[in-house]
Amino acid sequence: MGYFREAGKIGMKANNMEIKTSWLKSSWWIILLIAAGIAAPRVISEFYLLILGEALIMSLFALSFNLLFGHMGQLPFGQAAFYGLGGYGIAMLLTKYQINFWLSFAAGIGLAALAGLIIGIFCVRLRGIYFSILTLAFGQLIFVIIYKWHDFTGGDDGIQGVFPPEFLKTPVSYYYFILLVFCLAAFILWRITNSPFGYILKAMRENSERTEFLGIPIARYQLVAFVISATFAGLAGALWAPFYRSVAPSTLMWIKSGEPVMATILGGAGLFFGPVLGTFIITFFHAYILGFTHFWPIIMGALILIVIFFLPGGVLGFIKEKLDNRKKKEQQS
Amino acid sequence: MSFDVLFNQFLSGIARGALLFLVASGLSLTFGVLRVLNFAHGSLYMLGAFLSYSIWKWLLIPVYGFYVATLLSALAIAGIGLLIEYTILRRLYARGWPEQLLATYALILIITDIVKWFWGGEFLSIPRPEPFTKAVFLFDFPFPSYNFFIIILGLVLVFFLWWLVYKTRLGDIIRAAAHDRDMVSALGIPIPWLFTSIFVLGAFIAGLSGAVTAPYGAVALGMDIEIIIECFAVVVIGGMGSLPGTLLGSFIVGQVYSFGIMYKPELALAFIFMVMAIVLIIRPWGIFGRPER
Amino acid sequence: MILETKKLVKEFGKLLATNNVSFSVNEGDIHAIIGPNGAGKSTFFNLITGYHFPNSGKVFFKDKEITKLPPYRRCRLGITRSFQITSIYPKLTVYDSILMALLSRQKATLNLFSSAEKYFREEVWGILEDVGLADQAHVNGDSISHGDKKRLELAVTLGTKPELLLLDEPTCGMSPEETESIMIMIKNLVDKKGLTILFTEHDMGVVFGIARRISVLHQGSLIADGTPEEVRASEEVQKVYLGGAA
Repeated sequence: MGYFREAGKIGMKANNMEIKTSWLKSSWWIILLIAAGIAAPRVISEFYLLILGEALIMSLFALSFNLLFGHMGQLPFGQAAFYGLGGYGIAMLLTKYQINFWLSFAAGIGLAALAGLIIGIFCVRLRGIYFSILTLAFGQLIFVIIYKWHDFTGGDDGIQGVFPPEFLKTPVSYYYFILLVFCLAAFILWRITNSPFGYILKAMRENSERTEFLGIPIARYQLVAFVISATFAGLAGALWAPFYRSVAPSTLMWIKSGEPVMATILGGAGLFFGPVLGTFIITFFHAYILGFTHFWPIIMGALILIVIFFLPGGVLGFIKEKLDNRKKKEQQS
Repeated sequence: MSFDVLFNQFLSGIARGALLFLVASGLSLTFGVLRVLNFAHGSLYMLGAFLSYSIWKWLLIPVYGFYVATLLSALAIAGIGLLIEYTILRRLYARGWPEQLLATYALILIITDIVKWFWGGEFLSIPRPEPFTKAVFLFDFPFPSYNFFIIILGLVLVFFLWWLVYKTRLGDIIRAAAHDRDMVSALGIPIPWLFTSIFVLGAFIAGLSGAVTAPYGAVALGMDIEIIIECFAVVVIGGMGSLPGTLLGSFIVGQVYSFGIMYKPELALAFIFMVMAIVLIIRPWGIFGRPER
Repeated sequence: MILETKKLVKEFGKLLATNNVSFSVNEGDIHAIIGPNGAGKSTFFNLITGYHFPNSGKVFFKDKEITKLPPYRRCRLGITRSFQITSIYPKLTVYDSILMALLSRQKATLNLFSSAEKYFREEVWGILEDVGLADQAHVNGDSISHGDKKRLELAVTLGTKPELLLLDEPTCGMSPEETESIMIMIKNLVDKKGLTILFTEHDMGVVFGIARRISVLHQGSLIADGTPEEVRASEEVQKVYLGGAA
């Protein structure tokens, strides 16, 4: 568990200090960021607004991933399945069956949650490497099903014509929709990580065997976390489909599952907003790189290796550590 | 469902199982000794296939070209395995499984793009080599004789590994290290050297199995993930790190795949998953595996 | 009788770790299990707490059979064990570790929305006082001394509000002063909270200092079971310990 020690060590220190400082003092920057988010459409061009929207959606995806990774201590490699199911759910109901947008939206999320439950029942029976293998395998299974079931899902062609309702059709309005959903969802996830449930997850990460002996049925709790993670991943996917106006099987590929992984460890798994920072960096970097080359996976892979070797706590973890060291020096002098 | 059809499918399943064993054995061996699950094992397999194709094309040796290319490719992949172990993996043994998994996952991404860069997105294949070019007729059904080559190769590997693990000194060390790594180190056996050797051997086997896949005509991007998933099914069913388990798992998955294809081709993978799911419910650590505690 | 085992047998391959052990613990007792190394004390503990399941025989807790129950169920019934290897949650603070235990015991843990910090403030401080760790409440689990880690281990088990507490070598690795204070603490816990304590120990001073009943294991079998005086006088025990107990 060395990785979590490194990343978590920094996070833990930060969390402990936050108990002492007042709520307002430590969250001024959140308010600032939200204000910036609201002001964004007036300041940046539509092109960058679209990237920003994408970054928010993918940040939500990464946050859902980190519930299982940084917080619970497992490494799932198949989260794109839930993300994709969220997108396909809303896309298919909307285009094939002409169901109301909001119902389709909810159904997409529900589909992802259901899949999370079914897949989770199998996956939580295992820990560590075995868990990771199984999530990769199930993720691939879902991808193959959607890819091959041409008649039902459109297979390789994907599904086009996924439109949001009239009042959300413009880029600016949909962007605000994304921002709103993101803030709400992030807030809920934040509350979950600080709830008694979240505490138990942390304990399971630190020492699952010991926690079992304190009266916690580990598998059951992991299942709940798994379903929550799948639900929020599905939410991200359901946000994405109307944004992009279409879905394709590539949204469920194993490479897609790697994106929240990479974003999280880049940003820092030990802190709640690490995945968000990492995603923003990656999304804008990706948009920039796309101008030169399509060889994104190799860059992803190289980035993961660089972070593992040189920046184990991620960017945010690195920053926090520097700030803590400075605080320590100030206290000593 | 007549006997000849069943027999044909059964034999196809054996061939498939043999191929799976070729790939999965390297994975199992590496995990058993190093306790590292090499996600990129399938990538090495894929690289072995592509590399073998290019070597074969470049060499243009009649008749034996395929075999030469296969061997050279396997050696090259072994060299890549050496590079990977020495530069990346070695530094991660002291850290936990998350970093090791992440690193090998990163390798999948890197290798997949390397393959895309050099070979593009086409489907490549090598013609079946002599003397396995024709089909043999079993009960009036054509059966590619190349399958026999794969089966024989599989058997050779079984015996080689059995000999290695149970009859040599290295094998004793392997089994001891799989059981208790610290003890082996305390006995003065240089662990880094051992790990490197095993990893390189695993890479060699991966490259070899990739190369012999080329005549089947399915050398393309995506075969890395396809095969690693099936390998996972094999080791989940058979038990991680156990060679008898890998053998049994390969056999089972091979048969399920073969009969699944006959019944409904698109669902072959789903059938494999069903078996995996059943094993997970009844015996999560695999048939020959040991429970975590 | 709060705990009873009937003809408990555990084999590991050819090794008979627990050989037909029938024994019982009375409510409110401080009961020690002793025996030379390899006697099977740990295995026996593991059978009682659910870390292993026996090959044959039964375990009863307050007349309810628990032989095949998983560990978390036993904990919820009221049996909690401590572990020898300390530093359970190295990166959680002392306060949080104890809070964890309290949270897990109550049904509070499927609560997803309230802030965990609000809960059990008084209880956590109460336990911190009981074990003497109140001044280190906000220190990380791996930054405290060895003796304090043992106290933390004890504190966490107390957080689960047990009726029967199984302590695995509670004074292992402690200095004489620390050992003394742990002994006093254990005695107080039994008196104040009405706990029953079953513990294993190597330190005979501790054993004969606080135990009211002693059971002796040797090579998996129970060779003596009684008051300290009876055990001290037993020939079997003296033979096994080569020259008698301290």
